[in-house]
Amino acid sequence: MDFLQTSLDGLLFGSAYALLALGFSLIFGIMKRINLAYGSSLLFGGALAVWLEPFLGGGALGMLLVTVFGAAIAGIYVERLCFSPHLGKTGTMASMIATFAIWMQLDEISSQLLPQRTHGFAGIDIEAISFAGIIVRGDHVLHFWVAVLAIGALYWTLYRTRFGLLLRASADDPESAYLLGGRVGLLGVATFAIAGFLGGTAAFLILSSDGQITPHFGLWSTFKGLVAMMLGGVGSLPGAIVGGLLLGFAEAHVTFYLGAEFRDILTFGLLLLILVLRPGGIMGVDVYRTGRLATERI
Amino acid sequence: MLAIENLSTSYGLIKALKGVSLTAEDGKVTCILGPNGAGKTTLMFTAAGILKPDSGSVKFGGAELAGLAAPKILQQGLALAPENRLVFPQMSVRDNLLAGAYIRHRSEAKQVEEDLEKICERFPVLKERTEQTAGTLSGGEQQMLSVARALMSRPKMLLLDEPSVGLAPLIVDEIFSIIRQMNKDGISILLVEQNAVKALEVADHFYLLDQGRVAFSGTPGEMANDDVIKRAYLGEH
Repeated sequence: MDFLQTSLDGLLFGSAYALLALGFSLIFGIMKRINLAYGSSLLFGGALAVWLEPFLGGGALGMLLVTVFGAAIAGIYVERLCFSPHLGKTGTMASMIATFAIWMQLDEISSQLLPQRTHGFAGIDIEAISFAGIIVRGDHVLHFWVAVLAIGALYWTLYRTRFGLLLRASADDPESAYLLGGRVGLLGVATFAIAGFLGGTAAFLILSSDGQITPHFGLWSTFKGLVAMMLGGVGSLPGAIVGGLLLGFAEAHVTFYLGAEFRDILTFGLLLLILVLRPGGIMGVDVYRTGRLATERI
Repeated sequence: MLAIENLSTSYGLIKALKGVSLTAEDGKVTCILGPNGAGKTTLMFTAAGILKPDSGSVKFGGAELAGLAAPKILQQGLALAPENRLVFPQMSVRDNLLAGAYIRHRSEAKQVEEDLEKICERFPVLKERTEQTAGTLSGGEQQMLSVARALMSRPKMLLLDEPSVGLAPLIVDEIFSIIRQMNKDGISILLVEQNAVKALEVADHFYLLDQGRVAFSGTPGEMANDDVIKRAYLGEH
């Protein structure tokens, strides 16, 4: 019974990790580069929500909106400053280092928005659900459904709309996409906005379930998102979902059986293991067999 | 009619086109021959709006295209099927073709579906593989897809950049019979080709590009009798 309970807890929490990783993967799949300022953009959204709350009110829903839009705006800021000026093949390193600078900047701004370091974050009060001896937190069930909805919306956009077609085409070959009449110049902005929406939603879910926010949240979510993405397969969207759920599952079990202090050891141990055994990730391309990185996929 | 006049394009300090003038008539197949580095692909890229010319004009159906962005040029009815078959490798054949129709308006969705059917009739190899990802196709199939994708925008004129490069002779024959068929259906074609013997079968007019300049212009008959071309491109001594 404990096993079942822990597994369920882990998977429900893992759905937020999956969202976090999806945002990362989307940027990586389309832009082919790492955005180190990703977690900080999410922190900025959350910090902005806390800072604005006394002025705006609006409760949990208001904070969700501010977090999501704040993260998206910070994402667009990162794209304009770090990615769009360095689109060529030679710009990979430049844009990664630029995101490092913006990471520091966004962290600093967020710290200023959170003067007491640890601030309360509006929780969502939903009664716990119990059945057959298993109890799950109501807000964790909400996590799960929000994640399902967000993933559904993402897939619908990518595979059922003209915009999604252009986005996928441009991820495969930007020059050809331009040649076919796609205005690819603003696709980066759109990508970062979508990633901000996904990540911002994940940030809100995690922060409201913790009931608090600290300036460390940025680094924390960059780590969790990166690890979940790399477990699943860099740049692969199904991989991000699998990686997120797996990470949630494994963390819950380690915390339950060994204690919370072993949680991060496990997180990075898993990362090490996957990098040694299957560098392309679980759902990614087998690098040794094809001689190709999963970065070519979305 | 596509009328290119005095077109110059450079990459930084290197002048790739030094005042090229040529015309491609409506309803005809016009072929550009030339050695590697002659500026053939640069010419195609400039006409399609991927590269910006330093000077000169590109007129298509009376409208000036030089300096316009690629999407605008495609809307005028000039489509490029680039060299080395730049298809979208991770997308299905069907999505590749739909991406080709990207500039067509939403309200045309039904005609786009019909065109997809027609294209599949014309390229049976693609019909069997609509759900396969394009990267898994053979080189010849990818070339067919590249041409088919360009056709999905319903161009008036198709710019074909070395469609036969790196393909087996049988596939090359197939590509050229498709070129002939497309031309019969009313699409004008500007073809860049190294395989002069095959090009002789389809082209109505020839240009020879050398070091960024037009070195020769003439009918297939004149070309076949030109000593330089005979030696360099037709393998006769």
